[in-house]
Amino acid sequence: MEVTSDTDVFPFVREKHINFIIEQDSHRSFEYWLTEHLRLNGLYWGITALVTMDTLDSLPKEEVMDFVIKCWDSKSGGFGAFPKHDGHLLSTLSALQILRIYDDELNILGNRRAQLISFIKNLQLKDGSFQGDRFGEVDTRFVYVSLSALSILGELTPEIVNPAVEFIMKCQNFDGGFGMVPGAESHAAQVFTCLGALAVADSLHLLENDTKLSNWLSERQVLPTGGLNGRPEKLPDVCYSWWVLSSLSILKKTHWVDLSKLENFVLSCQDLINGGISDRPDNQTDIYHTCFGITGLSLINHEKYNFKPVDPIYCMPSEVTKHFKKWKN
Amino acid sequence: MTNNDSKREHGVKRVNLSKEAKRLKLERDAAKTENYKALTSQLFTSRDDHQLGLSEFNETTKILLINPEFYTMWNYRREVLIELRKSIEVEQYIDMINRDLKLLMDLLKRYPKCYWIWNHRRWCLFELVELNKVNWEYEFGVVSKLLELDARNYHGWQYRRFVVQNIEQDSLKKKKESQSETLILLNINANEFNYTTTKIKKNISNFSAWHNRSKLIPKVFKYFSEVSDIPEPLQELYKTVFQSPHLILVHDLELIKTGMYMDSDDTSVWLYLYWLLTEEFFIKDLTKEVYLSILKEQLSIIEELNELEKDDHKDHWDHCWCLKSIVFVKVLIYKQSNEDALSDDIKAHLKDLIKIDPLRKAKYLDQLEGKVSII
Repeated sequence: MEVTSDTDVFPFVREKHINFIIEQDSHRSFEYWLTEHLRLNGLYWGITALVTMDTLDSLPKEEVMDFVIKCWDSKSGGFGAFPKHDGHLLSTLSALQILRIYDDELNILGNRRAQLISFIKNLQLKDGSFQGDRFGEVDTRFVYVSLSALSILGELTPEIVNPAVEFIMKCQNFDGGFGMVPGAESHAAQVFTCLGALAVADSLHLLENDTKLSNWLSERQVLPTGGLNGRPEKLPDVCYSWWVLSSLSILKKTHWVDLSKLENFVLSCQDLINGGISDRPDNQTDIYHTCFGITGLSLINHEKYNFKPVDPIYCMPSEVTKHFKKWKN
Repeated sequence: MTNNDSKREHGVKRVNLSKEAKRLKLERDAAKTENYKALTSQLFTSRDDHQLGLSEFNETTKILLINPEFYTMWNYRREVLIELRKSIEVEQYIDMINRDLKLLMDLLKRYPKCYWIWNHRRWCLFELVELNKVNWEYEFGVVSKLLELDARNYHGWQYRRFVVQNIEQDSLKKKKESQSETLILLNINANEFNYTTTKIKKNISNFSAWHNRSKLIPKVFKYFSEVSDIPEPLQELYKTVFQSPHLILVHDLELIKTGMYMDSDDTSVWLYLYWLLTEEFFIKDLTKEVYLSILKEQLSIIEELNELEKDDHKDHWDHCWCLKSIVFVKVLIYKQSNEDALSDDIKAHLKDLIKIDPLRKAKYLDQLEGKVSII
């Protein structure tokens, strides 16, 4: 089934994308072996793209869940990106997102669950921020990841949430955007992590006047392509179709960019022969841009593509996240 | 989901290899692949066996040179270093860490966006801090060099702020009793402020530099106002810029004016202008009259530029960023005079913006209908 866009620019090559995703694991090129450190993230990107296209069954559920469990690192109590790799917050969230898409109860975690919770909680630092693992890298990405993961587990507490929110608010800049730590320049991906964290923590009201931020986000759309960039004076990139649009969606302002131009930009970045989506037209495709191109399209118009609606806060299907126990302040 | 690293395909041209070409590539890479897989499995085995010696250290070097994204191997490398530290001479250990810093520098030149490399560099530096052997000034040189190569590198700027913070702490720790803390901090931060000026003058579109400037201004002003004697080399900066928030404002508005005329399409300049005109730090001590006169002056500068730009446009259209900024400044003026921001001329401008900036049409409509505030 191919869906043609209004302006007849490029068709959406659904079947090819599905194939591109399920074929990911059959490439055995040198480059494939070099990406083990991203494998669980990659699996999450693939699963999310598939479930958004309403074809989760394209990958074998049992095998996927087995693989995720094999990535469990009992030493740290978190998930690594690949079997035997060390536990890290980034791969831990990917693991939880995948498992939760398949299983509301997360029964498969069994007695790992308690360890997992303490793994995440113990990575919070005094100032409310989180380090990615025991080696000390601090970044607003890790605050988002931790709050999202604990929310999926239904384990948020005021002791975790309050200082985390306080830290996030210190990362806001004069242009309304957010950076990776206090003092760092605004960046659209960090804006998503900060807004997402605030949304999970039911703290969006702290953005007293979000006009500045919404403006900054809408200015990310550039001509002639209609794609979105991540910072002023940078090139557009498909992944910002997610980072920027999800942020605008959280602020209820997706209409502040030209959605049809953005849609065409995403469609123009498809590899029409082999499936997959790249950062910009005619560049090399990968699973990351394929995921965020497709989830971006879902935010733009999920009905048109027969996609499932995606929750802009969790980047998971809304039908899964609606069962999350929402945190209330 | 937010693993925003460099290993993914950013900016690499698409090549569609034929089946045959793919097979040939696999064949060609076979030895490389086997070597990599063998090295990986050997390292995991020795880690399982708690091998934490020099040979494991060297093996992690091999694999990280092939794949610096392999974070588990950086972790293993640190475990080895922590173990070695217990058994080898301090001087030897310091030497190892310094050699790691060299290795990391080479890697950063090739992979400037790899989080794990930056992370290991920080870790190494803190090892040296513990041994009182760190050279932050050298790090400062490193990051300056990297920002020469890529003036917008997000990691580079963050690293620069990190190094500066540590230079501050280090200098305070080492200071003689007679030296003033504030003066030390003033020197460091004034230097950083000047660095942003240099970067901006080199390239007005360097928003990373504008951003850093916005963070430095209140700091430098505070230090200036706290020192009793301003040393000779800083007197000029004080007299021409930092005497008062008002003077800083005037100075930077002048800088922005140059920027506007150089490249009116550049968003960094306009974003910075909006900050200057609304930031409490600048306006809290201005009388209403002074503030209004500054706003009106800015308005006329932008209107003048807009006229020039209109002459260049085939249909004599307003310049997009000029018009956006005219709206911005006018709304500020109306707010000061307690007038309705949504006056007839603002409405007319918003309608024009719908025409010349159609991407954001719905935003202007929301503003026209009073659904959202304009600024």
